[in-house]
Amino acid sequence: MKRNVKKIVLYLILIGISILMVGPFVWLLLSSLLPNTNVYDFPNNVRLENFSISNFTGVFEFIDFGSFILNTVLISGSSVLLNALLASLTAYPLAKLNFKGKNLVFTIIISAMIVPATAAMVVNYLTITKLGLGDTYLGVILPTSVTIINIFNMRQGFLSVPDSIRESGKMDGASEWKIFTALVMPMVKPNLAVVILFQFMASWNDFLWPMIVLNDTGKYPLSAALTMLNGQFAYNFGWVAAGTVLSIIPTLVIFVLTQDMFVDGVSGANKG
Amino acid sequence: MGKMKKRKKWLRSEAAWAWGMMLPGLLVLTVFVFWPLIYSLPLAFTDYSVVGEMKFVGTKNFERAFSDPDFIASLTNSIQYVLVVPVIQMASMAFAVALNQKIRGVKVFRTLYYFPVVTSTVAVSIVWSWLFSSGGLVNQLLLDAHIISEKVNWLSDDSTALWVLMFITTWKGVGYYMVIYLAGLQSIPGELIEAARIDRAGTLQIFFKILVPLLKPQVVMCSLLSVMSAIKVFDEPFVLTKGGPGNSTLTASLYIYQNGFQNFDFGYAAALSLILSVIILFFSLLVNAYNRRK
Repeated sequence: MKRNVKKIVLYLILIGISILMVGPFVWLLLSSLLPNTNVYDFPNNVRLENFSISNFTGVFEFIDFGSFILNTVLISGSSVLLNALLASLTAYPLAKLNFKGKNLVFTIIISAMIVPATAAMVVNYLTITKLGLGDTYLGVILPTSVTIINIFNMRQGFLSVPDSIRESGKMDGASEWKIFTALVMPMVKPNLAVVILFQFMASWNDFLWPMIVLNDTGKYPLSAALTMLNGQFAYNFGWVAAGTVLSIIPTLVIFVLTQDMFVDGVSGANKG
Repeated sequence: MGKMKKRKKWLRSEAAWAWGMMLPGLLVLTVFVFWPLIYSLPLAFTDYSVVGEMKFVGTKNFERAFSDPDFIASLTNSIQYVLVVPVIQMASMAFAVALNQKIRGVKVFRTLYYFPVVTSTVAVSIVWSWLFSSGGLVNQLLLDAHIISEKVNWLSDDSTALWVLMFITTWKGVGYYMVIYLAGLQSIPGELIEAARIDRAGTLQIFFKILVPLLKPQVVMCSLLSVMSAIKVFDEPFVLTKGGPGNSTLTASLYIYQNGFQNFDFGYAAALSLILSVIILFFSLLVNAYNRRK
Protein backbone atom coordinates (compact mmCIF):
# COMPACT_ATOMS: atom_id res chain seq x y z
CA MET A 1 0.00 0.00 0.00
CA LYS A 2 2.68 2.49 1.05
CA ARG A 3 4.67 1.43 -2.01
CA ASN A 4 1.75 2.24 -4.28
CA VAL A 5 1.25 5.68 -2.79
CA LYS A 6 4.93 6.41 -3.29
CA LYS A 7 4.67 5.30 -6.90
CA ILE A 8 1.66 7.48 -7.58
CA VAL A 9 3.40 10.52 -6.07
CA LEU A 10 6.46 9.85 -8.21
CA TYR A 11 4.34 9.61 -11.35
CA LEU A 12 2.50 12.83 -10.46
CA ILE A 13 5.82 14.64 -10.06
CA LEU A 14 7.16 13.23 -13.34
CA ILE A 15 3.99 14.22 -15.20
CA GLY A 16 4.07 17.69 -13.63
CA ILE A 17 7.62 18.22 -14.88
CA SER A 18 6.57 16.88 -18.30
CA ILE A 19 3.88 19.55 -18.57
CA LEU A 20 6.45 22.22 -17.79
CA MET A 21 8.97 20.82 -20.31
CA VAL A 22 6.61 19.97 -23.18
CA GLY A 23 3.67 22.29 -22.49
CA PRO A 24 5.20 25.23 -24.40
CA PHE A 25 5.61 23.01 -27.49
CA VAL A 26 2.01 21.81 -27.28
CA TRP A 27 0.80 25.37 -26.86
CA LEU A 28 2.87 26.45 -29.88
CA LEU A 29 1.51 23.63 -32.05
CA LEU A 30 -2.09 24.38 -31.05
CA SER A 31 -1.62 28.10 -31.69
CA SER A 32 -0.19 27.44 -35.14
CA LEU A 33 -3.23 25.31 -35.97
CA LEU A 34 -5.78 27.86 -34.74
CA PRO A 35 -5.64 30.80 -37.17
CA ASN A 36 -8.02 33.74 -36.72
CA THR A 37 -8.50 33.02 -33.04
CA ASN A 38 -7.18 34.96 -30.09
CA VAL A 39 -4.16 32.97 -28.89
CA TYR A 40 -4.28 34.87 -25.64
CA ASP A 41 -7.69 33.41 -25.03
CA PHE A 42 -6.15 29.97 -24.49
CA PRO A 43 -7.64 27.43 -23.83
CA ASN A 44 -11.07 28.85 -24.76
CA ASN A 45 -9.98 29.20 -28.39
CA VAL A 46 -9.28 25.46 -28.70
CA ARG A 47 -12.41 24.29 -30.51
CA LEU A 48 -12.60 21.69 -33.19
CA GLU A 49 -14.20 24.00 -35.77
CA ASN A 50 -11.32 26.49 -35.41
CA PHE A 51 -8.57 24.08 -36.52
CA SER A 52 -7.00 24.83 -39.90
CA ILE A 53 -3.62 24.53 -41.59
CA SER A 54 -3.95 27.91 -43.27
CA ASN A 55 -0.97 29.29 -41.30
CA PHE A 56 1.23 26.58 -42.77
CA THR A 57 0.09 27.15 -46.33
CA GLY A 58 0.43 30.88 -45.62
CA VAL A 59 4.13 30.79 -44.76
CA PHE A 60 4.91 28.91 -47.97
CA GLU A 61 2.78 31.20 -50.09
CA PHE A 62 3.70 34.60 -48.69
CA ILE A 63 7.13 34.23 -47.07
CA ASP A 64 8.72 31.66 -49.43
CA PHE A 65 9.42 29.39 -46.52
CA GLY A 66 10.38 26.57 -48.88
CA SER A 67 13.59 28.34 -49.86
CA PHE A 68 14.55 28.86 -46.19
CA ILE A 69 14.12 25.12 -45.63
CA LEU A 70 16.22 24.38 -48.71
CA ASN A 71 18.97 26.75 -47.48
CA THR A 72 19.01 25.01 -44.10
CA VAL A 73 19.19 21.56 -45.67
CA LEU A 74 22.04 22.70 -47.90
CA ILE A 75 24.03 24.29 -45.06
CA SER A 76 23.55 21.55 -42.47
CA GLY A 77 23.96 18.78 -45.06
CA SER A 78 27.35 20.08 -46.21
CA SER A 79 28.42 20.80 -42.67
CA VAL A 80 27.60 17.23 -41.58
CA LEU A 81 29.38 15.68 -44.59
CA LEU A 82 32.51 17.79 -44.13
CA ASN A 83 32.66 17.13 -40.39
CA ALA A 84 32.24 13.38 -40.81
CA LEU A 85 34.99 13.33 -43.43
CA LEU A 86 37.49 15.78 -41.92
CA ALA A 87 37.03 14.68 -38.30
CA SER A 88 37.64 11.03 -39.29
CA LEU A 89 40.71 11.91 -41.36
CA THR A 90 42.17 14.12 -38.63
CA ALA A 91 41.40 11.83 -35.71
CA TYR A 92 42.63 8.54 -37.19
CA PRO A 93 46.36 9.39 -37.27
CA LEU A 94 46.08 10.91 -33.79
CA ALA A 95 44.75 7.63 -32.46
CA LYS A 96 46.39 4.91 -34.51
CA LEU A 97 49.43 6.04 -36.54
CA ASN A 98 52.95 6.60 -35.27
CA PHE A 99 54.62 9.87 -36.14
CA LYS A 100 56.72 12.56 -34.53
CA GLY A 101 54.76 15.36 -32.86
CA LYS A 102 51.59 13.33 -32.39
CA ASN A 103 51.10 14.27 -28.75
CA LEU A 104 51.94 17.89 -29.41
CA VAL A 105 49.33 18.16 -32.17
CA PHE A 106 46.69 16.56 -29.97
CA THR A 107 47.51 18.76 -26.97
CA ILE A 108 47.31 21.93 -29.05
CA ILE A 109 43.96 20.90 -30.51
CA ILE A 110 42.44 20.03 -27.14
CA SER A 111 43.70 23.12 -25.33
CA ALA A 112 42.06 25.34 -27.95
CA MET A 113 38.76 23.92 -26.76
CA ILE A 114 39.06 25.69 -23.40
CA VAL A 115 39.27 29.14 -24.94
CA PRO A 116 35.88 30.83 -25.49
CA ALA A 117 34.66 31.31 -29.03
CA THR A 118 33.46 34.90 -28.62
CA ALA A 119 36.84 36.31 -29.58
CA ALA A 120 37.03 34.14 -32.69
CA MET A 121 33.91 35.50 -34.31
CA VAL A 122 35.23 38.97 -35.07
CA VAL A 123 38.51 37.66 -36.50
CA ASN A 124 36.72 34.92 -38.48
CA TYR A 125 34.44 37.51 -40.00
CA LEU A 126 37.50 39.49 -41.14
CA THR A 127 39.07 36.31 -42.55
CA ILE A 128 35.95 35.27 -44.43
CA THR A 129 35.64 38.73 -45.97
CA LYS A 130 39.34 38.73 -46.97
CA LEU A 131 38.88 35.32 -48.62
CA GLY A 132 36.05 36.83 -50.65
CA LEU A 133 33.55 34.46 -49.04
CA GLY A 134 31.26 37.09 -47.55
CA ASP A 135 27.59 36.46 -48.37
CA THR A 136 28.32 32.88 -49.54
CA TYR A 137 27.27 29.50 -48.16
CA LEU A 138 30.91 28.42 -48.19
CA GLY A 139 31.64 31.29 -45.83
CA VAL A 140 28.93 30.02 -43.49
CA ILE A 141 30.08 26.39 -43.61
CA LEU A 142 33.87 26.59 -43.75
CA PRO A 143 34.74 27.78 -40.19
CA THR A 144 32.89 24.84 -38.62
CA SER A 145 33.66 22.30 -41.37
CA VAL A 146 35.58 20.40 -38.69
CA THR A 147 35.13 21.01 -34.97
CA ILE A 148 37.39 19.97 -32.13
CA ILE A 149 34.64 18.11 -30.28
CA ASN A 150 34.00 15.97 -33.37
CA ILE A 151 37.71 15.18 -33.76
CA PHE A 152 37.76 14.22 -30.08
CA ASN A 153 34.73 11.97 -30.49
CA MET A 154 36.17 10.16 -33.53
CA ARG A 155 39.52 9.73 -31.80
CA GLN A 156 37.78 8.00 -28.89
CA GLY A 157 36.28 5.58 -31.41
CA PHE A 158 39.55 4.88 -33.19
CA LEU A 159 41.32 4.29 -29.87
CA SER A 160 38.96 1.41 -29.14
CA VAL A 161 39.86 -0.35 -32.42
CA PRO A 162 42.43 -3.08 -31.59
CA ASP A 163 45.89 -2.74 -33.21
CA SER A 164 45.64 -6.30 -34.48
CA ILE A 165 43.15 -5.08 -37.11
CA ARG A 166 45.81 -2.84 -38.64
CA GLU A 167 48.45 -5.54 -38.40
CA SER A 168 46.32 -8.14 -40.13
CA GLY A 169 45.64 -5.66 -42.92
CA LYS A 170 49.36 -5.03 -43.30
CA MET A 171 50.06 -8.77 -43.48
CA ASP A 172 47.63 -8.98 -46.38
CA GLY A 173 49.59 -6.22 -48.09
CA ALA A 174 46.84 -3.59 -47.83
CA SER A 175 47.86 0.08 -48.11
CA GLU A 176 47.33 2.52 -45.22
CA TRP A 177 44.37 4.00 -47.08
CA LYS A 178 42.80 0.61 -47.67
CA ILE A 179 43.22 -0.34 -44.00
CA PHE A 180 41.60 2.94 -42.97
CA THR A 181 38.62 2.80 -45.29
CA ALA A 182 37.89 -0.94 -45.46
CA LEU A 183 38.95 -2.24 -42.03
CA VAL A 184 38.91 0.57 -39.46
CA MET A 185 36.06 2.86 -40.54
CA PRO A 186 33.37 0.15 -40.37
CA MET A 187 34.35 -0.40 -36.72
CA VAL A 188 33.74 3.20 -35.63
CA LYS A 189 30.26 3.54 -37.09
CA PRO A 190 28.68 4.34 -33.67
CA ASN A 191 31.06 7.28 -33.16
CA LEU A 192 30.50 8.47 -36.71
CA ALA A 193 26.75 8.37 -36.09
CA VAL A 194 27.12 10.51 -32.97
CA VAL A 195 29.26 13.04 -34.86
CA ILE A 196 26.71 13.21 -37.67
CA LEU A 197 23.79 13.65 -35.24
CA PHE A 198 25.41 16.33 -33.10
CA GLN A 199 26.70 18.26 -36.06
CA PHE A 200 23.29 18.13 -37.71
CA MET A 201 21.59 19.54 -34.62
CA ALA A 202 24.27 22.21 -34.15
CA SER A 203 24.17 23.52 -37.69
CA TRP A 204 20.40 23.20 -38.06
CA ASN A 205 19.93 25.38 -34.98
CA ASP A 206 22.77 27.86 -35.60
CA PHE A 207 21.61 31.36 -36.47
CA LEU A 208 24.25 33.89 -35.45
CA TRP A 209 27.12 33.04 -37.78
CA PRO A 210 24.87 32.73 -40.86
CA MET A 211 23.37 36.13 -40.02
CA ILE A 212 26.85 37.65 -39.75
CA VAL A 213 28.18 36.19 -43.02
CA LEU A 214 25.07 36.46 -45.20
CA ASN A 215 23.87 39.90 -46.33
CA ASP A 216 21.11 38.57 -48.55
CA THR A 217 18.34 37.51 -46.17
CA GLY A 218 16.97 35.23 -48.90
CA LYS A 219 19.97 32.98 -48.26
CA TYR A 220 19.19 32.66 -44.53
CA PRO A 221 18.70 29.24 -42.93
CA LEU A 222 15.54 28.66 -40.87
CA SER A 223 16.79 29.77 -37.46
CA ALA A 224 18.16 33.02 -38.82
CA ALA A 225 15.01 33.57 -40.89
CA LEU A 226 12.86 33.06 -37.79
CA THR A 227 14.68 35.76 -35.81
CA MET A 228 14.02 38.09 -38.72
CA LEU A 229 10.37 37.01 -39.20
CA ASN A 230 9.67 37.29 -35.50
CA GLY A 231 10.34 41.01 -35.75
CA GLN A 232 8.80 41.57 -39.18
CA PHE A 233 5.62 39.56 -38.80
CA ALA A 234 4.95 40.19 -35.13
CA TYR A 235 1.41 41.18 -36.14
CA ASN A 236 0.82 37.79 -37.76
CA PHE A 237 1.49 35.54 -34.84
CA GLY A 238 0.12 32.48 -36.66
CA TRP A 239 2.75 32.56 -39.38
CA VAL A 240 5.64 32.87 -36.97
CA ALA A 241 4.15 30.01 -34.93
CA ALA A 242 3.81 27.83 -38.03
CA GLY A 243 7.37 28.66 -39.11
CA THR A 244 8.68 27.86 -35.64
CA VAL A 245 6.84 24.51 -35.64
CA LEU A 246 8.31 23.65 -39.06
CA SER A 247 11.83 24.48 -37.86
CA ILE A 248 11.47 22.32 -34.74
CA ILE A 249 9.94 19.19 -36.30
CA PRO A 250 13.03 17.79 -38.07
CA THR A 251 15.24 17.97 -34.97
CA LEU A 252 12.56 16.47 -32.71
CA VAL A 253 11.79 13.62 -35.13
CA ILE A 254 15.46 12.79 -35.61
CA PHE A 255 16.04 12.96 -31.87
CA VAL A 256 13.15 10.60 -31.08
CA LEU A 257 14.33 8.10 -33.70
CA THR A 258 17.97 8.12 -32.58
CA GLN A 259 17.68 8.97 -28.90
CA ASP A 260 19.62 6.01 -27.53
CA MET A 261 22.59 6.94 -29.69
CA PHE A 262 22.13 10.55 -28.63
CA VAL A 263 22.13 9.80 -24.93
CA ASP A 264 25.21 7.59 -25.30
CA GLY A 265 26.88 10.40 -27.20
CA VAL A 266 26.21 13.02 -24.53
CA SER A 267 27.28 10.83 -21.64
CA GLY A 268 30.24 9.41 -23.60
CA ALA A 269 31.64 12.78 -24.61
CA ASN A 270 31.50 13.98 -21.02
CA LYS A 271 33.14 11.02 -19.35
CA GLY A 272 35.42 12.05 -16.53
CA MET B 1 69.85 9.39 -56.09
CA GLY B 2 69.99 8.34 -52.47
CA LYS B 3 68.10 11.45 -51.49
CA MET B 4 65.30 10.62 -53.92
CA LYS B 5 65.06 7.12 -52.63
CA LYS B 6 64.87 8.36 -49.09
CA ARG B 7 62.13 10.76 -50.04
CA LYS B 8 60.17 8.05 -51.79
CA LYS B 9 60.44 5.88 -48.76
CA TRP B 10 59.19 8.67 -46.47
CA LEU B 11 56.23 9.28 -48.73
CA ARG B 12 55.13 5.71 -48.14
CA SER B 13 55.77 5.90 -44.41
CA GLU B 14 53.21 6.14 -41.63
CA ALA B 15 54.27 9.70 -40.83
CA ALA B 16 53.58 10.83 -44.38
CA TRP B 17 50.15 9.21 -44.27
CA ALA B 18 49.45 10.78 -40.92
CA TRP B 19 50.27 14.35 -41.99
CA GLY B 20 48.54 13.88 -45.34
CA MET B 21 45.32 12.74 -43.72
CA MET B 22 45.35 15.46 -41.07
CA LEU B 23 46.23 18.25 -43.51
CA PRO B 24 42.70 19.42 -44.48
CA GLY B 25 41.44 19.30 -40.89
CA LEU B 26 44.48 21.05 -39.47
CA LEU B 27 44.24 23.71 -42.17
CA VAL B 28 40.65 24.55 -41.17
CA LEU B 29 41.56 24.60 -37.46
CA THR B 30 44.59 26.80 -38.10
CA VAL B 31 42.64 29.41 -40.04
CA PHE B 32 39.43 29.47 -37.99
CA VAL B 33 40.45 28.38 -34.48
CA PHE B 34 44.15 29.06 -33.86
CA TRP B 35 44.54 32.19 -35.98
CA PRO B 36 41.70 34.07 -34.22
CA LEU B 37 43.31 33.24 -30.88
CA ILE B 38 46.69 34.55 -32.01
CA TYR B 39 45.41 37.54 -33.95
CA SER B 40 42.89 38.90 -31.45
CA LEU B 41 45.70 39.60 -28.98
CA PRO B 42 47.44 42.34 -31.03
CA LEU B 43 44.05 43.46 -32.39
CA ALA B 44 42.98 44.38 -28.87
CA PHE B 45 45.71 47.04 -28.79
CA THR B 46 44.60 48.76 -32.00
CA ASP B 47 41.73 50.96 -33.11
CA TYR B 48 40.98 48.69 -36.09
CA SER B 49 37.64 49.48 -37.67
CA VAL B 50 36.19 49.31 -41.18
CA VAL B 51 36.97 52.97 -41.71
CA GLY B 52 40.39 54.60 -41.52
CA GLU B 53 43.89 53.24 -40.95
CA MET B 54 44.65 50.73 -38.20
CA LYS B 55 46.68 52.37 -35.44
CA PHE B 56 48.38 50.92 -32.40
CA VAL B 57 46.72 52.56 -29.39
CA GLY B 58 48.41 50.82 -26.48
CA THR B 59 46.15 49.99 -23.56
CA LYS B 60 43.54 52.58 -24.51
CA ASN B 61 40.87 49.96 -25.29
CA PHE B 62 41.29 48.42 -21.86
CA GLU B 63 41.18 51.76 -20.07
CA ARG B 64 38.03 52.57 -22.00
CA ALA B 65 36.50 49.20 -21.09
CA PHE B 66 36.87 49.65 -17.36
CA SER B 67 35.35 53.13 -17.42
CA ASP B 68 32.58 52.11 -19.83
CA PRO B 69 29.35 51.92 -17.79
CA ASP B 70 27.68 49.73 -20.45
CA PHE B 71 30.46 47.19 -20.28
CA ILE B 72 30.41 47.15 -16.49
CA ALA B 73 26.62 46.68 -16.58
CA SER B 74 26.97 43.84 -19.08
CA LEU B 75 29.61 42.12 -16.94
CA THR B 76 27.39 42.43 -13.87
CA ASN B 77 24.52 40.85 -15.78
CA SER B 78 26.71 38.02 -17.05
CA ILE B 79 27.94 37.31 -13.55
CA GLN B 80 24.37 37.41 -12.19
CA TYR B 81 23.59 34.83 -14.88
CA VAL B 82 25.91 32.37 -13.13
CA LEU B 83 23.16 32.03 -10.51
CA VAL B 84 21.44 29.64 -12.95
CA VAL B 85 24.23 27.11 -12.38
CA PRO B 86 23.24 25.77 -8.93
CA VAL B 87 19.56 25.74 -9.94
CA ILE B 88 20.21 23.90 -13.20
CA GLN B 89 22.53 21.40 -11.52
CA MET B 90 20.23 20.63 -8.59
CA ALA B 91 17.19 20.29 -10.84
CA SER B 92 18.92 18.06 -13.39
CA MET B 93 20.33 15.85 -10.65
CA ALA B 94 16.91 15.54 -9.02
CA PHE B 95 15.34 14.70 -12.39
CA ALA B 96 18.02 12.09 -12.99
CA VAL B 97 17.41 10.48 -9.59
CA ALA B 98 13.66 10.42 -10.23
CA LEU B 99 14.20 8.80 -13.62
CA ASN B 100 16.67 6.26 -12.29
CA GLN B 101 13.83 4.27 -10.68
CA LYS B 102 12.75 0.97 -12.10
CA ILE B 103 9.27 2.06 -13.14
CA ARG B 104 7.43 1.93 -16.44
CA GLY B 105 7.58 4.83 -18.87
CA VAL B 106 10.94 6.16 -17.69
CA LYS B 107 12.22 6.37 -21.24
CA VAL B 108 9.21 8.42 -22.34
CA PHE B 109 9.83 10.96 -19.57
CA ARG B 110 13.53 11.11 -20.42
CA THR B 111 12.64 11.84 -24.06
CA LEU B 112 10.19 14.58 -23.11
CA TYR B 113 12.62 16.29 -20.72
CA TYR B 114 15.23 16.34 -23.46
CA PHE B 115 12.98 18.06 -26.05
CA PRO B 116 14.05 21.61 -25.13
CA VAL B 117 17.72 20.65 -25.52
CA VAL B 118 17.45 19.66 -29.18
CA THR B 119 15.27 22.65 -30.07
CA SER B 120 16.99 25.80 -31.31
CA THR B 121 17.33 28.68 -28.87
CA VAL B 122 15.62 30.85 -31.45
CA ALA B 123 12.48 28.70 -31.49
CA VAL B 124 12.48 28.32 -27.72
CA SER B 125 12.92 32.07 -27.19
CA ILE B 126 10.09 32.91 -29.57
CA VAL B 127 7.68 30.56 -27.77
CA TRP B 128 8.57 31.83 -24.31
CA SER B 129 8.39 35.47 -25.40
CA TRP B 130 4.72 34.89 -26.20
CA LEU B 131 4.08 32.94 -23.03
CA PHE B 132 5.66 35.73 -20.98
CA SER B 133 3.95 38.59 -22.84
CA SER B 134 1.55 40.69 -20.79
CA GLY B 135 -1.54 38.89 -22.12
CA GLY B 136 0.27 35.57 -22.17
CA LEU B 137 -0.31 32.27 -20.48
CA VAL B 138 2.15 32.84 -17.64
CA ASN B 139 0.31 35.93 -16.41
CA GLN B 140 -3.01 34.15 -16.89
CA LEU B 141 -1.98 31.15 -14.82
CA LEU B 142 -0.38 33.25 -12.07
CA LEU B 143 -3.45 35.49 -11.88
CA ASP B 144 -5.75 32.48 -11.68
CA ALA B 145 -3.62 31.03 -8.91
CA HIS B 146 -3.64 34.42 -7.12
CA ILE B 147 0.15 34.49 -7.02
CA ILE B 148 0.17 37.92 -8.67
CA SER B 149 -2.61 40.48 -8.43
CA GLU B 150 -2.01 42.30 -11.71
CA LYS B 151 -0.32 41.53 -15.04
CA VAL B 152 3.45 41.73 -15.04
CA ASN B 153 5.32 42.90 -18.16
CA TRP B 154 7.94 40.22 -17.65
CA LEU B 155 10.24 41.04 -20.56
CA SER B 156 9.82 44.80 -20.68
CA ASP B 157 10.27 45.42 -16.96
CA ASP B 158 13.93 45.91 -16.06
CA SER B 159 13.50 44.21 -12.69
CA THR B 160 12.21 40.93 -14.18
CA ALA B 161 13.62 40.65 -17.72
CA LEU B 162 16.98 39.10 -16.82
CA TRP B 163 15.34 36.62 -14.46
CA VAL B 164 13.00 35.51 -17.23
CA LEU B 165 15.97 34.88 -19.53
CA MET B 166 17.66 32.90 -16.75
CA PHE B 167 14.52 30.83 -16.34
CA ILE B 168 14.46 30.02 -20.07
CA THR B 169 18.14 29.03 -20.00
CA THR B 170 17.47 26.74 -17.05
CA TRP B 171 14.43 25.18 -18.72
CA LYS B 172 16.38 24.55 -21.93
CA GLY B 173 19.52 23.18 -20.27
CA VAL B 174 18.17 20.89 -17.56
CA GLY B 175 17.66 17.87 -19.86
CA TYR B 176 21.24 17.95 -21.09
CA TYR B 177 22.82 17.68 -17.65
CA MET B 178 20.14 15.21 -16.56
CA VAL B 179 21.32 12.74 -19.19
CA ILE B 180 24.91 13.02 -17.98
CA TYR B 181 23.87 12.47 -14.35
CA LEU B 182 21.62 9.60 -15.38
CA ALA B 183 24.59 7.85 -17.01
CA GLY B 184 26.57 8.43 -13.83
CA LEU B 185 23.79 7.06 -11.63
CA GLN B 186 23.50 3.91 -13.70
CA SER B 187 27.09 3.04 -12.84
CA ILE B 188 26.32 3.21 -9.09
CA PRO B 189 25.47 -0.29 -7.83
CA GLY B 190 21.88 -0.63 -6.62
CA GLU B 191 22.96 -2.64 -3.57
CA LEU B 192 24.60 0.49 -2.14
CA ILE B 193 21.26 2.30 -2.03
CA GLU B 194 19.47 -0.83 -0.80
CA ALA B 195 21.94 -1.12 2.06
CA ALA B 196 21.37 2.53 2.98
CA ARG B 197 17.61 1.96 2.97
CA ILE B 198 18.00 -1.02 5.27
CA ASP B 199 19.95 1.29 7.59
CA ARG B 200 16.85 3.51 7.49
CA ALA B 201 18.44 6.40 5.58
CA GLY B 202 15.90 8.90 4.20
CA THR B 203 15.62 9.80 0.56
CA LEU B 204 17.27 13.20 1.05
CA GLN B 205 20.02 11.64 3.11
CA ILE B 206 20.69 9.08 0.38
CA PHE B 207 20.71 11.87 -2.19
CA PHE B 208 23.20 14.12 -0.43
CA LYS B 209 25.31 11.58 1.46
CA ILE B 210 25.62 8.83 -1.16
CA LEU B 211 24.61 9.92 -4.65
CA VAL B 212 26.11 13.40 -4.82
CA PRO B 213 29.59 12.31 -3.60
CA LEU B 214 29.59 9.36 -6.00
CA LEU B 215 28.57 11.62 -8.87
CA LYS B 216 31.45 14.00 -8.20
CA PRO B 217 33.17 13.57 -11.59
CA GLN B 218 29.90 14.45 -13.31
CA VAL B 219 29.21 17.33 -10.93
CA VAL B 220 32.63 18.87 -11.63
CA MET B 221 32.26 18.45 -15.39
CA CYS B 222 28.70 19.77 -15.52
CA SER B 223 29.21 22.78 -13.25
CA LEU B 224 32.26 23.76 -15.27
CA LEU B 225 30.36 23.57 -18.56
CA SER B 226 27.41 25.31 -16.98
CA VAL B 227 29.43 28.20 -15.52
CA MET B 228 31.24 28.79 -18.80
CA SER B 229 28.08 28.88 -20.88
CA ALA B 230 26.31 31.09 -18.31
CA ILE B 231 28.99 33.79 -18.44
CA LYS B 232 29.08 33.57 -22.23
CA VAL B 233 25.28 33.67 -22.63
CA PHE B 234 24.26 35.36 -25.85
CA ASP B 235 21.36 33.69 -27.69
CA GLU B 236 18.53 34.39 -25.26
CA PRO B 237 19.13 38.13 -24.82
CA PHE B 238 19.93 38.49 -28.53
CA VAL B 239 16.64 36.98 -29.68
CA LEU B 240 14.38 38.17 -26.87
CA THR B 241 15.42 41.56 -25.56
CA LYS B 242 18.47 42.87 -27.49
CA GLY B 243 19.83 43.85 -24.09
CA GLY B 244 16.85 45.96 -23.04
CA PRO B 245 14.92 47.38 -21.37
CA GLY B 246 17.73 49.84 -20.71
CA ASN B 247 20.81 47.77 -20.03
CA SER B 248 19.01 45.28 -17.85
CA THR B 249 19.65 42.22 -20.05
CA LEU B 250 22.82 43.37 -21.79
CA THR B 251 25.31 40.52 -21.33
CA ALA B 252 29.03 40.71 -22.01
CA SER B 253 28.84 38.56 -25.15
CA LEU B 254 26.00 40.65 -26.50
CA TYR B 255 27.92 43.87 -25.84
CA ILE B 256 30.99 42.46 -27.60
CA TYR B 257 28.79 41.52 -30.55
CA GLN B 258 27.29 45.01 -30.69
CA ASN B 259 30.72 46.63 -30.68
CA GLY B 260 32.11 44.27 -33.31
CA PHE B 261 29.23 43.86 -35.69
CA GLN B 262 27.10 46.94 -35.22
CA ASN B 263 29.71 49.62 -34.50
CA PHE B 264 32.48 47.77 -36.41
CA ASP B 265 34.80 48.71 -33.59
CA PHE B 266 36.90 45.55 -34.00
CA GLY B 267 39.79 46.64 -31.81
CA TYR B 268 37.55 47.44 -28.85
CA ALA B 269 35.54 44.24 -29.37
CA ALA B 270 38.75 42.20 -29.32
CA ALA B 271 39.83 43.88 -26.08
CA LEU B 272 36.45 43.15 -24.49
CA SER B 273 36.65 39.50 -25.61
CA LEU B 274 40.06 39.24 -24.04
CA ILE B 275 38.74 40.57 -20.70
CA LEU B 276 35.80 38.16 -20.87
CA SER B 277 38.13 35.24 -21.62
CA VAL B 278 40.20 36.06 -18.54
CA ILE B 279 37.04 36.22 -16.40
CA ILE B 280 35.82 32.87 -17.74
CA LEU B 281 39.22 31.34 -17.07
CA PHE B 282 39.09 32.75 -13.52
CA PHE B 283 35.65 31.24 -12.88
CA SER B 284 36.70 27.85 -14.30
CA LEU B 285 39.73 27.80 -12.02
CA LEU B 286 37.49 28.78 -9.11
CA VAL B 287 35.10 25.88 -9.80
CA ASN B 288 38.07 23.54 -10.11
CA ALA B 289 39.65 24.72 -6.88
CA TYR B 290 36.35 24.49 -5.01
CA ASN B 291 35.81 20.94 -6.16
CA ARG B 292 39.30 19.86 -5.27
CA ARG B 293 39.01 21.31 -1.76
CA LYS B 294 35.78 19.42 -1.02
